[in-house]
Order: sequence, then C-alpha cells, then structure tokens
Amino acid sequence: MRSGVIFGVLAALLAFPDALALKANDFKTCSKSGFCRRGRALSARAQEAQASWKSPYSLDPSSVSISPDEATVKASVKSSLYPDIKFGLELRIHDDGVVRVIMDEVDGLRKRYDEAAEWALVAEPKMSKTISWTAGKKDLRAVYGEKKNIQIVVSYDPLRVTLLRNGKEQIVLNGRGLLHMEHFRSKTVKETSEEVASDSSGEGQEVLQVENVRAWFEGESEDDWWEETFSSWTDSKPKGPESLSLDISFPNHGNVYGIPQHATNLSLPSTTGDDAPYSDPYRLYNADVFEYLASSSMSLYGSIPVMHAHSADSTVGVFNAVGSETWIDISYPTKKSTHTHWISESGIMDVFLLPGPTPEQIFTQYARLTGTTALPPHWSLGYHQCRWNYVSSDDVRTVQRRFDEEDMPVDVFWLDIEYAEDHKYFIWDSKTFPDPVKMTDDVAAIGRKMVVIVDPHLKRTDSYPIYKEASDMDILVKPKSGEGEYEGWCWSGSSSWIDHFNPASWDWWISKFKTNKIDTGFSWTQSTEDIHIWNDMNEPSIFNGPEITMPKDSIHYGGWEHRDVHNINGMLFHDNTAQAIRFRGDVPKRPFVLTRSFYAGSQRISAMWTGDNLGTWEHMAVGIKMVLANGIAGMTFAGADVGGFFGNPEPEMLIRWYQVGIFSPFFRAHAHIDTNDANLSCWRSPTKALENSVTGLPIVRPHYVMFPKDPVGFAIDDQFFIGSSGILVKPITEKEITETTVYLPDDQVYYDYFTHYAYRGSSQGNYVTVRAELHQIPVFIRGGSILPTRERPRRSSPLMKHDPFTLRVALSKSGTARGELYLDDGVTYSHQQGELVWREFVAEPSAKTTRISSKDLASANPSQTVDGVMLETYNPKNAFVKEIEEVRVEKVVVLGLSNKPKSVKVENGAELYWEYIPGVPASDKKEGTSSVLHIKDPKVIVTEDWAIVIS
Amino acid sequence: MFWLLLFLPLQALGAVDKAFGVSSDLLSKYVPSKSNTWNCLDGSKQIPWDFVNDDFCDCPDGSDEPGTGACRNQSFYCQNVGHIGSFIPNSRVKDGLCEPNCCDGSDERPGVCRNTCEEVGLAYKKQIEAEMKLRKTGSKIRAKYIAFAHKEKKRLEDIIQTFAAEIAVRTKEVARIRDIAERAESLSASALELKQQSPLYTSLITHSNALKSLQREHKKHLQREKELSDVLDSLRTGYNPNYQDMAVLEAVRGWEELAGLPHINDVRKDSVSDEEAGLDEDWDSDGLEITEDVEDEMWTAEDLENDLDDLLNQDYISLLLEHDEYVQASSESSILFDVASYLPDSVIPKYEEFKETLVSWLVSLGVIKGEAPSSADTSRSRQALTNAENELNKVVKEKEDAENELKEIFNIHGYGMEGEWKKLDGTCLRTDVGDYTYEVCLFGEAKQIPIKSGSSFTLGKFASWNPSPDVKPGDEEYYKKQVYNRGHRCWNGPERNVVLLLSCGTENVLTSVVELEKCEYQFTGTTPALCLPLDDADIKSKDEL
Repeated sequence: MRSGVIFGVLAALLAFPDALALKANDFKTCSKSGFCRRGRALSARAQEAQASWKSPYSLDPSSVSISPDEATVKASVKSSLYPDIKFGLELRIHDDGVVRVIMDEVDGLRKRYDEAAEWALVAEPKMSKTISWTAGKKDLRAVYGEKKNIQIVVSYDPLRVTLLRNGKEQIVLNGRGLLHMEHFRSKTVKETSEEVASDSSGEGQEVLQVENVRAWFEGESEDDWWEETFSSWTDSKPKGPESLSLDISFPNHGNVYGIPQHATNLSLPSTTGDDAPYSDPYRLYNADVFEYLASSSMSLYGSIPVMHAHSADSTVGVFNAVGSETWIDISYPTKKSTHTHWISESGIMDVFLLPGPTPEQIFTQYARLTGTTALPPHWSLGYHQCRWNYVSSDDVRTVQRRFDEEDMPVDVFWLDIEYAEDHKYFIWDSKTFPDPVKMTDDVAAIGRKMVVIVDPHLKRTDSYPIYKEASDMDILVKPKSGEGEYEGWCWSGSSSWIDHFNPASWDWWISKFKTNKIDTGFSWTQSTEDIHIWNDMNEPSIFNGPEITMPKDSIHYGGWEHRDVHNINGMLFHDNTAQAIRFRGDVPKRPFVLTRSFYAGSQRISAMWTGDNLGTWEHMAVGIKMVLANGIAGMTFAGADVGGFFGNPEPEMLIRWYQVGIFSPFFRAHAHIDTNDANLSCWRSPTKALENSVTGLPIVRPHYVMFPKDPVGFAIDDQFFIGSSGILVKPITEKEITETTVYLPDDQVYYDYFTHYAYRGSSQGNYVTVRAELHQIPVFIRGGSILPTRERPRRSSPLMKHDPFTLRVALSKSGTARGELYLDDGVTYSHQQGELVWREFVAEPSAKTTRISSKDLASANPSQTVDGVMLETYNPKNAFVKEIEEVRVEKVVVLGLSNKPKSVKVENGAELYWEYIPGVPASDKKEGTSSVLHIKDPKVIVTEDWAIVIS
Repeated sequence: MFWLLLFLPLQALGAVDKAFGVSSDLLSKYVPSKSNTWNCLDGSKQIPWDFVNDDFCDCPDGSDEPGTGACRNQSFYCQNVGHIGSFIPNSRVKDGLCEPNCCDGSDERPGVCRNTCEEVGLAYKKQIEAEMKLRKTGSKIRAKYIAFAHKEKKRLEDIIQTFAAEIAVRTKEVARIRDIAERAESLSASALELKQQSPLYTSLITHSNALKSLQREHKKHLQREKELSDVLDSLRTGYNPNYQDMAVLEAVRGWEELAGLPHINDVRKDSVSDEEAGLDEDWDSDGLEITEDVEDEMWTAEDLENDLDDLLNQDYISLLLEHDEYVQASSESSILFDVASYLPDSVIPKYEEFKETLVSWLVSLGVIKGEAPSSADTSRSRQALTNAENELNKVVKEKEDAENELKEIFNIHGYGMEGEWKKLDGTCLRTDVGDYTYEVCLFGEAKQIPIKSGSSFTLGKFASWNPSPDVKPGDEEYYKKQVYNRGHRCWNGPERNVVLLLSCGTENVLTSVVELEKCEYQFTGTTPALCLPLDDADIKSKDEL
C-alpha cells in the first residue's frame, strides 16, 4: 500500500521507469510452481492421447449408499494407478437444487485439508427432501427441480459427474479425465537408486517398467514432490505431493465469468488453446502485487473460486471451495462451449454446482451458501477521502476545514500507517497525533467518520501490548518447526502474525477494539466509535517471504500448513476485525472494514478495493471490470481507488476517474478535485445495498446479468447497470473523448439522466452515439424506472436524514414505471427489529390518466428477509418511521408523457403546481428530448401511502 | 427613513418567514408586487409571492429560497442580534448541526439550537480586544522594522554615493590606462600578428582551448555525479529495507560499496543515527575519494581544482613574447625596458607612466635609442587595463546591487510600501512536526529537515506574495501569504511547494505546518510586520461591539 511513501525518495529517478514497474520475477508462473506444472503436463498428455485417454478414476457400484433422506449419496472411488489407495465420493443435493460434490482420500497416510467450506459457508446448507437417487448399472442418477428437468448423473467408469437441464449437459466434472487427487505417500529414497540404475542395465529397466505403468498419466518424474525452490526460498513440503487436478466443462456455455481477482475482462479470455491471450492459467493465490499489470491472469490480493458459465439458454455456476493456491486454465473449444481445468495445491475436492438457470438464481444460490452483504453503515456508501498520508491531527483538521470552506461533501477521512508509532497499530504517534480522540470528535461533529488502518503484522517488541499479549497467549502463526513464532519483515520491521484460525484469538482480538478500559489487557481507549478500520496487507504481505507472503510450510492452528489456508487467511482477519467493530460499544453498530485480501464469504461483512492501482487510463478501465467481476463472485461492496494509488494523474484523467468512482459501490479517492455536484452522488442510496442483502445480486450489474438472453451483451464490461434502479452507465476511460457509443440492449426508451434526451433501444440491441465531453458522463435511466434521490447538498451524508426526496419517473414505452426506496437509521441494527422504511413507487397508466403511487413494500412482504431477518415483525408505525415522519417528496419529475396534462393532483387533494415542457413521448419511436413534467412540492410524505394523479 | 421604519414591522407581521435568511441590504427586495407576485432577483422569472421561502426552488438563480436549503449554492443570513450578522452556505440550513457562525440558532428548526449571541458577542469582543492589544504591541515592533528600512535606505544611499565617487575616479583611471595600452598596441600590432602565427603559439592556443573544454566537461560530470550521489544517498536512507525489491536493494548495496558507506540496515539496527548523520555530511569528501598514485609531475585533483583556472587565465600573448625574448636572448634591450617584469603588478601602471616619461626624456636627450615599445609592454599594459576595468565593473556592480536593494525596500512587491519586511529578509522560522523540522527563511527557501537522519528536502524558494488575482498588491491581504515553489519533486508527484500564511503577532514564529495535498504544504506563522497600527476606524468599530 504505502510503498509510495517509502519510495518517495526516488522522485528524481523518473529516468528509470523499470524501477517502478511490476516485479514479475517476484511471482511464480505456472512453470515455476511444481503442482501447476504437473497439472498442466497431465492436461497436455491427455490432449495428446485424445480419444485413447481414459480417466483412471472409477466408482465402485457396490459401495453406493444412499442416505435415508435420499439427498446424500456416498460411494468409494478407486484409481487404477494406485489400487490400494481409497477415495470416498459424496454428493449432496440441497433444497435449492445446488449439488455439492465432495471427494477425499480415505484412510490415507495423512488428512487432506477439509475446512475451506466451513469458513466460506454462512450456514450448514439445507438438504433437499424431495430427491430420490437411482443406482443403475452404469451410473447413479437423480432427477429433480420443479419441472423435474434437472438431472444429476454420476457415471461409474470412468468417474464423471454431469449436471443436465432438459437433457442438455450443463456442468461436467472429469469429462476430460483430468481428475487427479495425489494421495499421501512416504518419501522413499527409491528414485535415486533408480536414476543410477537406469543408466546401467538389467534390473534397472525392470524398475523403470514398473514406473511406466503410471507415466502415461502422472509423467515420468517425481516433479517437485518433496521440495520446491523459488528464487532464494525453499518450500520444505513435508507432506509431499497432495495436489488436486479437476476439469470442469460447460459443453453448452460459451462465456465464463468470475474467479476474481484478476485484472482482466469480465468475460474471461482463454489461457490455453489457439490464440489464447494469456499463456498462464488464472491464478488464485492472494498476493501483494506491487504495481500490477492492467491485463494479466496473475493473481492479486483476493481469491474467490466462483465461476459463472453463461449462454442465452441458461446460466450455471461452480463454487470450488478450496483454500490453497489454485490455477485455472480456460479454453473455448468452440464458441459455445468452455473447458476449465482447476489445479489446487492441497485440500479435498469440495465443489458446489449451481444449477441456475438464470444469473439471478445463481446469485441467490451462491448467496444461500456464502451469505449476502450485510447492510453497511450508510455513511460508508458516501465519499471517502484518502491520501497517502495525513501527517498529523492538525493536518486532518485543516483538510476538513478546507472541504467545509469549499462546501464540498465528504463522509470519511482515512489514516494510513503513519499514524502509528513505529507501525505499532493502535498506538498513536504522540508527536503527530497527540489528541486522537479529540481529532476524531472534531471530524464526527460534522457527521463524518475516520477510517484508520490496522494491519496484521505485529511488531515483535514486548513494549507493544498487542504483540506481547498474542505472544503470551501463543496465538501467533508458527514457523515450519511448529514451535515458537514465525518471524517475518513488514512495515513494522521484525513482525509476527496472529493466527486467526486459532479460536482463542477471536474474543481476544475483538476485545482490543473496545473503547473503554478492560481488565484483560490492552484496549483501544484512544479511539471512539466513529473510528472504523482498514485492514491492509492481509494476504498476508511479508516483505522477505516467498512471493511477498508467508512461507507455505508455516503452521497454523490444528497443525495445518499455511499452504492449506492461504487464500482464506485474509478473510479471517477482516472478519474478526468487523466483529470487533460491531460489538465494541454498548449498542452494536454496523462496522465498516475495508479489506484488501478476501475469500468467498468476505462479502458478508466487509468492503474491498482493488489494491494499489496505477494512475493510468488502462487501470481506470480495468478497475470497472474488476469491480464487476468481484460482484459476480458476491463481493459487491467494491471499488477501485479513484486517481490510482501510484502516479500523479492529469486533471482530465482525474475527472473521468471521479465519474467512474461515483458509480462504484465503494468510492474512495486519493486526490481530490472540485466535484461539488450532489447530482452525481445523490443516488448513492442504501436501496441498492438492500437489494444485495435480499437477493445477493451485485450492486453493479453487467449486461449478461440484466439481459441474459442477449448474446451481444455477454462480453460487454465497459458499461453496466446500477442495481435494478434502471440506471445504465458508460464511464469514459479514454483520453480526449467527446462522444461515445452506448449499447442499448432492449426495445425500451433510455433517457439521458441530465438532458432527458430519449434514446431508443431495440429488441436486437441498438448502438447509439452520445455526447461525452469532459463534464458529461453517459448515464441513462431506462424507461420504466422510478428513481428516488435527495438532491440537497450537505457536508456529509448523515446530515441528509431529514431532507426531502425527488422522484424521477422515467415512463416506459407502455407508460409504466416502478422503483423502490429503502431507509433505516443507517448505523445500528434496529432495522432487524423492523425499524425501517421500504417503499415501492409505481406509475400506471389507465384511461387518460397516469397514477403515481407509493405503497409499503415491507408490509406487503412479511416473508421477505432484510439483512437476514424476516419482516414478520415489521410495524409500519415503527420508531424510525416516526423519526422521519416529516420527510416529504419535494418534487416529482415525469419523463415521457404523451400529452400535456389537464390536471395534476394528489389523489383526493387540491390541484398541484406543475410545469410541462413538451417533447418526445416515451411511446414514440423517435429520438429527441423527452417531454418533462415538473410537479412542484406535492407535500406527500415518504413514509405514507399516497397517489398523484396526472390527467 | 420614517416610512421604512413604519413599514418594516408591518411587513414583518405579515410575512416574516418570506424575508427569513435575507441580509439587511437585500431586505427591501423581498416584498410582493401589487399582484402578489415576486421577481427572481436575476429577473429571469416571476413567481407567486407564496413561493418565496416555501422550501422549493423556483428561481433559476435560487433567490426565492433565502431561508431554506431548497436552492443550491445560496447564502443564508443569520441576524445574530447582539453579535454580528453573518452568512453561511445554505447547505447548512436545517442540517441538524448548530452553526457556530449562527449564534442566534436561526439555521436550525426552532428549539434545536440555543441563542448564544450574547456570550459569543462577549467572547468576540474580548478576542477583538486581545487582537488589538496584540496589534498595538506588534505595531511598535513593526515601527522599528520600518525605521530599520529607513536606516537601510540611508545606508544604501550613502554606499551608492561612495560608489559613485569611486566610479568617477576609476573611470578616469581606466581612460588613462586605456590610452597607454592603445598606444602600445598600435605600435606593435603588425609585429604581434606575425608572431602569433608561430606554430608554437597556435598549438598552445589549441591546447588551451582543449583544456578549457575538458575542464567544462569535467565540471559537468562533477555536477552530475553530485546529483546522482544525492539521489542515491536519498534512496539509501529513505528506502524501506524491509520491502522485498531487489532492484532497489542492489542499487543501495552497490552505492554503499562504491561510496564506502556502511550498509544502512546495519546502521539502523545499531541505531547509531548520530554517526550516520556524521557520515552523511562527510561522505562526499571522504567516501568518494579513490586514492590513486599520482605521478610526480601529474597534477593532483586538488591542483586541478585550484590551479587550473589560473593556468587557463594566462595571457598567452605575453607568454609568446616572453618566449621570443627567451629564444632570442636579446642583450640589446636594456633592463630599463624589462623592469616591468620584475615589478609587482600594482606598481606597473605607475611604473609605466614613469618609464614613458623617462624614456621620452632620455630619447630626446639622445641617451638611449628610441624604439617601439616591446610587445611585452603592450600586453602588460593591457593586463593593467583589464585589471582597472574589472575594478571599475566591480564597483559598478556593487552600486547596481545597492540600488536594486534600495528599490526593493519600498517596493510593494518586495519589502512592502513601508519597507516593513526588509528587516526580516533572511530571517528563518522553524518548527518541529513529527520527525521533521520545517524551516522557512523569509524571501529565501523553505525546507523539510529530518530530525533524526536522512536528507533534507527543499520545499520551495520564495516566488511571490499572495498571487491571487482577487488580492490587490500592497493591500494587507497581499502580505498575509507568501508562495515558495519549485521545491524538490515528490516521488511520483509534483514539485513540492509551500504557502506561508502570516498574521499579526509579536514574534516571528511558525505555528503550524500541514500538508494539504500531496506535496503541497501550508505553513502558518505570525510576524509583527503584519501588525498595522490601530487607526480611528478600528477603535471605533471595537467600541461599537
């Protein structure tokens, strides 16, 4: 993160751009990673053998056992290569049709890591009660689904698992015979004698012949089985080879998405096959990649092994619950099919097949597994001002004063590592921050918050209470010996890392954030509940470690090696921090924790950003794709740093980047410009966050999610929709642009947000050219949407609490429109007791009138859940409703009416004051500025039912 | 007036809310027309009078909502009865927070904010009194600064006069010597031309030119080396040794080896930061020195630095002539003509004068044979001329400098109309923030100096007083801000710069340093130079409080 500070002295070295660029050699390519090399070699042998290739794995039909509830089936699996080694296969069908496929070695020499899903899953999935398996001669089958059109088939020999819909193959496991679970074995010295022997004659050849039985599959040599060296580091690999290779095919889907985090297109480019844009597989291995490339399959800070496969017919998904380093090759044998090959270093096979068949259902199915995003505090959806460093508390106050002098809104100020004395997080540098509580109070006085960094590396000095306590409690990660404390280097110099896999660390860590004194040791009395947390460097980033992270043979709780849990590690840290923030005060409050590293499940409680990006146009553009891809994998509260972390963006780039940032779920800038335009940020409402919490659908949605049947949109990732609000955005990410082309996917009218110009889509899709000068962002409201906004500028978003709303009613071609509004106190969990407002606005045409009405959505949906809590307890007269009872709608803007109204009234009320500007009606086929009806202050109350009638 | 007084309360009765948030000078505009309408202040629209302050924005210019937050970018006027009325941005009206500038609480719903105008007014009065006291004390010091400027003016004027007199004398002197030199040269010009064609001479000139060029290149390289070593030293002390960046590490290691420095990690670990600091100062004299065996006749680096200029400044023509004489070993020329060679330079002009007179006597008396003065004499006399001219130029320059300085003293863009800043020229103000000392030497340079160790950064050099086009040069506001720019470039960023904000105080001190944006520093400080004497208006306005 703050490498910038450190390298500040290089100012004059602009002549050495290489000094600033990515250090590609710091990170492994597949060819430098033993198990990836073995996996790819296996795939290459299969490719060569073509039809003669047959997976050595088979299911023993006699071993099949079906559970009493029939949802679960178990069987033994064998590999013909190692007849003595036993494997167990288990399939479970969940009540929503998700199929979980588990395979593990049985009675092996050791135990494979099997806890990844436990960390990822939000709860134990419910098993289906309606499934019945049928064991046949060649396979094992189950048919289910409302229309009985989903079929799961387990073929015995070779072992293969196929999910079908309407008889069409959706997902196939081991269809290409690349399944290989390397079993545990003892290290023998055999191979040295072999090598000697093979050079001589006679008996040596005999030994070789024995070996060759498996060579067709495993290869000739024991490639990096017992030790692996990279650069100056050696991984001791005491457990030997234990990798898992698995091919997952989508024979009828030509686009795959997800598996973040990579700086690449949303629709994933291939890594093998002809003209593959990338030569290396997509890698999932959380890493602190200094100045990453804007297009690469390299791994980045976080990993979510979730993939969507999409076609116009259906969408399916795969969640591969693995915590170890994983490489994924993708190829497209035809335009309509996809092959993927997943190679993981360790762990059991634990794959969830998500049957879809729509993108929305995939999101819901995945959210049922790993959870939705808890409603974040509302202020965290606002504008975050960050900078490489605020040098002192005076500095913070001065910046705040300047924002106020310019009357520019800002919600959060951020403090990077320099606040902490010697980078001992929690401990303020008293020279520069002598009065942290007072400083925070000064910021909070304007409704603002502070976000302060707490990194996971603990300075190894007994005078640092956090380290001392953790050391005394023996909850630090251990070195490969399994004894003592692992020591590495980070910002704080010689450091150790808390082992958050150790349950003893949880309550302890949570107690460190208490703002009052505690009996059991240090607590952060020098903080207030207005301080929230930024967890950086939690991959973990270790300067002197292999690939800037922890050695894989380091030991975690339960004796697991770091290799088993690496990708999960960062999540446990931010998750525990979020718990700490939630419970530090008397009343639990919604935490805001920003994390750099993440895993499946991270979305439940934290926001992420795309790390230390560069201030370039390429990074601006790929940032959008990355945020979209994270959303696909559930991590919806995401954003890229506006302006880039590195570099000094030119003004034009900065303006464009703000225009991008405003539409990101998480909006943080490192520099700032004068964007005193509440028009742009007023729509940043909690309604979209609610949608995710209810449905698991991402806040920013790519075309294929919104229009799954339109193939033109499958690869579009430079324009996107905001929730279901009907807002379509095409940010400009290139220099000196004055106009751009926008794809309108359906036969509907799209209104320019600012000019009300009506553009027309068509059922075949339509490209329109729109103006995009520097001050213009192409933003559209799709006909049929009602958008509630608060348009009065305030210094911070909490100060808008009592401000009135404006409703933008963008009529569809048929004269209808619909929108939602969700509000709660934005800070506590009182919404889980039903203290909330959830309204629906509807515009409906009838004979010569258009009626715009507001109704209570919460009352209408008692079975719906908000933030995991059923709305049964909802009371339309709840305390929060009372608190905002005077909040009204101050203005209604109706776009696309066909004729000038004769009258506009609140139903059963007096005539309202209104103004009509004639223009193109929604129902027309013409382009042009739409008709606009401005209704002045209908004085209707947001929390009440009402209707406005336009005749 | 009477009419207004009568009218206003009536207005107030009927529509007090319509004029809510309007400042007194605009109050008269917030009245309805006879038809009970109202025109937006920019005249763009007519609206019903009811629409004024109805919490909905009707006018394009926002003027219909002076008392609500309905229109953007408006100002709201708080009456603050008992204190001073003030404007706040209307984005703060009814935002739930009591504005400090609205002590009457009118920015929020009734009952939200207490009316604190009485206490605020009292505190303000006290503050004003304190400020006035400060100004009074400060202005006495300021008066001293002004006196100093006048003294400086006097001193400079005197110097200028002295210089003028000296210039007159020296100008005469130069004219006289030039006369001698020209005469000598005209006599020998053709002879000299011939001699200059000597291969030895032409070769010598070529050597000289080559040597000069070499020296120039050498200096360039020295400069480059200095810059590079600065850069590398900054890298060495500033980089994070923990970060696994091999290129940086190798650069640092390589540099340490080359410069003979200990590894920075060792230095840091042992925390011998004092030694380190010492090393930092010493290294470029010791560290870089590569001891070589120097042949006896070869010049040492020190010789090169000290003596090369002298060598190159030699008068090759006199050398040529001396050489001629040496070769010819002429015995004819009497000692008389060569005496100059043995005389110290300072005596030569007098001697030349004397000799000329003497020779002309002797020639006229037939004692010696008259001949054209030798070329050696020509170049000697030219040397004398050059010396005299240099002396003259020096004095002229000094006079110019003094004149310029004099001009700056009472220049509004320089030391101020009254010269009150002259005294502070070069005064350095310092303050410690965190691990750094920040320093600004007024009219000079601003710096960031690490307290422990490491290299200093120039944050900027004095560029101007307040450059804002809204501020009139010479106004009080103008002198409240100084700009220092073109400091060291930030890593991956712009050049550092400093804005120094000054206010009246009895001492010259820095009170705070903040970094408002990446590499943009704001220093604040006080100085008596800004303590204007109290005038009647000030005293009156205080009494009115």
